[in-house]
Amino acid sequence: MPQRDVERFERVVLPHLDDAYTLARYLLRDEHDAQDAVQDAVLRALRYFDSYREGDARAWLLAIVRNCCLSWHRRQRLARASVPLADADSVDIGPGREADARAIARSERAAIERAIAALPSEFREVIVLREVQELSYREISDVVGAPIGTVMSRLSRARKRLADALGVGVEEVG
Amino acid sequence: MGCVECRDLLSALVDDELPQDERAEVRAHLANCADCAREHDILAATSRRIREGVVRHQAPDVLKARIRSMLSQPDAFAPVAEAPPAGRPRWTMLAAAGLVIAVASSALTYGALRRGTSPDGTTVALLDSHIRSLMPGHMIDVPSSNQHTVKPWFNGRVDLSPAVPNLDSAGYPLLGGRLDYVAGRAVAVVVYGRRQHVINVYSWPGEPADTPRSGMLDEKGYHLLEWRNGDVEMWAVSDLNRGELQQFVRAFQAAAR
Repeated sequence: MPQRDVERFERVVLPHLDDAYTLARYLLRDEHDAQDAVQDAVLRALRYFDSYREGDARAWLLAIVRNCCLSWHRRQRLARASVPLADADSVDIGPGREADARAIARSERAAIERAIAALPSEFREVIVLREVQELSYREISDVVGAPIGTVMSRLSRARKRLADALGVGVEEVG
Repeated sequence: MGCVECRDLLSALVDDELPQDERAEVRAHLANCADCAREHDILAATSRRIREGVVRHQAPDVLKARIRSMLSQPDAFAPVAEAPPAGRPRWTMLAAAGLVIAVASSALTYGALRRGTSPDGTTVALLDSHIRSLMPGHMIDVPSSNQHTVKPWFNGRVDLSPAVPNLDSAGYPLLGGRLDYVAGRAVAVVVYGRRQHVINVYSWPGEPADTPRSGMLDEKGYHLLEWRNGDVEMWAVSDLNRGELQQFVRAFQAAAR
């Protein structure tokens, strides 16, 4: 591949590494596996860079990351007895003054991470693509290879589960 | 519009993904149905809460370094299904790489042999191996930052199970492992990073007759540190400065215990 294509690849694809890594972290729930999967995905992306036309490079890369995570997960399931759950740092908040704003924010993040980690993978991926990556339904449909109607219903069911897990009730609905 | 149909569309309303006419119908229903309106508010509040509190990760520096190193490999862009393109660019690149290796290793060999601080066949071979590992595509056979991936990879490939401690927290991310051939024997090499530097850690079964030893050699900006871990002969080679390499080895020994 000529040098200018290498430069184009770096310009088009590499800015999305954080998003790629975030998706892999949520899908694989392990930081080392996520690193390996993203490296694998970038390798595949550059081998298939010819097939990338103008368009949303982020969605294109995320689709490859997602596929790498799926095959990574299959391999690891065979290799290991169990997959460790997310290292969501559970924080004990002491009563009263110790429960400062930062501890609350930390425990909120941990609660959200646990709730997302507990979702079945087909729900987890649409939630991350929508709420974290803010992709449109059309883009999510392309990334996960499912019709838009399916994306819509998975998102809806995923949100209901998250609402239950996080205890989102009428009280806090503004 | 009935409640059942409305519920199916609520999430899409939250995401502003409904066409105008459907959006108007759903809104009209919500204005007259308290149950559906509450369901909508719960979905919207959940979405808001996730967006505000969810952790967005950053790709770690190690990962970026691994990807940069991958991109610099000449065959990285080769299409998977095709044979490598024949022709001048690739050939000249290989020839140039070979030349660099030849020049670098002869210079080092010469330097090492001159020193008289017991550089023997092994240290010369280790230096050659270290420099070869820095050539594109020669560093790592099993790229992984996971010790539980790297360690089992050596099973059946070498006559020992090398120590692969996790040194992330000490600032030495694991980059992977490779098999190498040094001074007449297959050796396990575990590769760590430190900023832009590479540390190769070699292990092979030591000879029982050998006296346990440890020591350090400096050569042309490279450093070699030798020690014994039980019956295993260990060497660390890097272009890190002397003190930093010693620190690394101390961290390695402490974690491998």
